[in-house]
Amino acid sequence: MNKRIVYCVLGFHAIVALLAPLLPLAATDEQDPGATLQGFSSAHWLGTDALGRDILSRALHGGRPSLVIALLATALSAVIGVALGSLAALAGGWIDEALARLIDFLLAVPTLILLLLIASFFGHDPFVLSVTLGLMYAAPIARVARGSTQVLLARDFVRVARLQGGRGVNLLIGEVLPNVWRVVLTEIAMQFTWIILAFSSLSFLGLGASPPTPEWGLMIAEARSYMTINPLSVITPIVMLGSLVLAVQALVDRE
Amino acid sequence: MLFTLGAFVSLAVLSFLGIDALPGDGCTALLGRFGTPAKVAECREEHQLTDPVIVRLGNWANDVVHGDLGYSIKRDEQVAQIVLPRIRNTAMLAVVAALMAFPSAIVAGLLIGRYPQSRIGRAINTLGVVAMTLPEFVIATILWLVFSIWIPIFPGVTVVPSNATVVELLPHIWMPALTLAAVVFAHSMRTMKAGVTTIQLMPFVESARLRGTKERVTLLRHILPAALPPVVNTIAVDAAWLLTGTFVTEAVFNYRGLGRLAIDAISDRDTAVILPIVLFGLGVYLTMSLIADMVVRLLDPRLKQHRS
Repeated sequence: MNKRIVYCVLGFHAIVALLAPLLPLAATDEQDPGATLQGFSSAHWLGTDALGRDILSRALHGGRPSLVIALLATALSAVIGVALGSLAALAGGWIDEALARLIDFLLAVPTLILLLLIASFFGHDPFVLSVTLGLMYAAPIARVARGSTQVLLARDFVRVARLQGGRGVNLLIGEVLPNVWRVVLTEIAMQFTWIILAFSSLSFLGLGASPPTPEWGLMIAEARSYMTINPLSVITPIVMLGSLVLAVQALVDRE
Repeated sequence: MLFTLGAFVSLAVLSFLGIDALPGDGCTALLGRFGTPAKVAECREEHQLTDPVIVRLGNWANDVVHGDLGYSIKRDEQVAQIVLPRIRNTAMLAVVAALMAFPSAIVAGLLIGRYPQSRIGRAINTLGVVAMTLPEFVIATILWLVFSIWIPIFPGVTVVPSNATVVELLPHIWMPALTLAAVVFAHSMRTMKAGVTTIQLMPFVESARLRGTKERVTLLRHILPAALPPVVNTIAVDAAWLLTGTFVTEAVFNYRGLGRLAIDAISDRDTAVILPIVLFGLGVYLTMSLIADMVVRLLDPRLKQHRS
């Protein structure tokens, strides 16, 4: 994919997610019983769903829940992951060994079943879901951060900084982290797409966003039964979700 | 081997304690919102749920070692009878998906790595990456739209019971298997491609070419064996996922496998059924990585020497 297209798609999603409530759109929960499952029309540009709600409006709002959760969870997993990984590498010895085992253990936890359990037993609270996702996805980031910190600690400029009296956390923040970020950023961007996918899968299964919230996964799940009557109701959220995820992925592949 | 067993046992105990710590048990699941505290207490007394955690853990471990997976109060059935047919169905689905995905991925990766300029190769690569990136329910919905509605070749929704015979099940397996195959295809294809790209520049390949070895022989006898070991690891991870990560796909197609059962059990809060599913998942992951290590050792003669 062309880089310019990727940035355009990402920019479109950012603008839409930020400005959706300000755009002159129909309300997402406004039902029109007289006009259900309509195709293109001037009143509803992308038609209506089974309850007569405007598909365009719902599709443009539908990324917001997953984006909020993905941003929160990614930020949390990035902070925990980088801190855990780089401190493990810096400490060395048995602390490093123990933290590495902990990371391996977290990586072995089956993600989706744990998410389903948490969502089912502790409710659909977005904050709980973000924290859970953030903790779960911290492990792969920690692994990458640990690996690249180990490499950097052996590099000449870090050794020079050490000889000049740099110690512990100061050394980490001043010399190592600015360079770790560059490597870890790719991993973080991939986590971001995975978290969006995980949350929309949860919504699709009925355990993420709850109706009538407009959310892409939920929209696809609701519209699937009416796919033959109005394919637009399924294709629109698929195009929105797909374009966002593919654009982030293309950005990561390029770096 | 011993390490794997130790890891399994400790993870099993952790899962038992974790699931036990969740609010609700078999009795609250059975009685639902009609369960008065008195009724729940009576039910707990009857099913020995009042014992302390450590005693129940011991009883459960003892039962499992003797082949008894327990009893679902909610479903009023032996857990083994609920879970085993579902494991069979999921295993069949996994085998079909694996046969669709892995051999074609190895061939595609080999050819795309060798002939990176090819238009068809690039198209397959792009399609594979797109399928890998999109969530399963989107792929499933697109495949459904195409193959059940626009070109109706396959039935879209499975309507066979969970204990159907293999022959009854077979017509319903293609769509979910195709979805799963589309998801995993690109992983091994890309690993293979990356391997071939680096290996074909190595001196031993060049020397084979300079000796006048035919291109086909170079590809199959020199490049393929050298590129396979990393692909084995990718395949092992994907195979484990095919056996344990198929919740969404099974839910979309209403395919009565383990993933579908897991979702049902979780929404019923039937902890007696959730626990063996979690254990099965852990067991599959650990076994697969063990098998992958062994296969890599067989494929890579350097590791054998290193060991002896």
